[in-house]
Amino acid sequence: MALEVQTRQTDGGVTIVAPTGRLDVAGAPALKEAINGLTENGPPHVVIDMEGVSFVDSTGLGSVIAALKQIRNRQGELRLAAPNQQARVVLELTTLDRVFPYYATLEDALAGF
Amino acid sequence: MSTTNAAFEFHAIFGDLDDGLAVLHSSVDRLRVVLGRDRDDVALLRFETALGEIGSNVLTHGRPAGTQAPVDYRLRFDHDVVEASLTDFGAPVHEHLGRDMPEQESESGRGLAMARSLLDELGYERDGDVNRWRLVKRL
Repeated sequence: MALEVQTRQTDGGVTIVAPTGRLDVAGAPALKEAINGLTENGPPHVVIDMEGVSFVDSTGLGSVIAALKQIRNRQGELRLAAPNQQARVVLELTTLDRVFPYYATLEDALAGF
Repeated sequence: MSTTNAAFEFHAIFGDLDDGLAVLHSSVDRLRVVLGRDRDDVALLRFETALGEIGSNVLTHGRPAGTQAPVDYRLRFDHDVVEASLTDFGAPVHEHLGRDMPEQESESGRGLAMARSLLDELGYERDGDVNRWRLVKRL
């Protein structure tokens, strides 16, 4: 399934990026495009809601790292919400779980943002 | 899927990136059903993740420029061991096999290191113009 990405904004100004499908070598460009398209007035606060992501590979992970660097360069913050078991395996294997704070649910990720 | 002496066998030939990746994942889904493993079975997820890495390498780098040479893929499970084989016609990759995991903020270069860590055995051999990959994991 090709990756589809929807974005929306909360009343508190947090942008939720919600990909659906496989975040892999075929899907990663769609996430990069969505992140590039974020327009912010001030430091971006972004949650990538992973609930709809069935699979993450190293290229998909690379697109999340690119997003993190882009957002940090603008003094913003990126959080990951609801990664499934496979995504958690990848984050832990690569030790990126120490770089990305990830939250069990979208609500948890939004809390205190 | 066919049944022989092995508990599970799957064979496919593909060339397109999206279709090829979909075939790899659907074959593991079929194995998951046959074995009665749930979606969060970590050993099978680790195998599927490694398969995705090698499969995407094969599909993106495994064909000489300007050609559409097909990728041959087999998946087999027997005696608690799952084994996949992939063949492609890309350039030899010996120099990349031992690559370490890159720094945390690197955006690329993790695939082979991840596959090595996730599997019990990652085999590679150059056979004439063909790369032969073998992925093995005890479930």
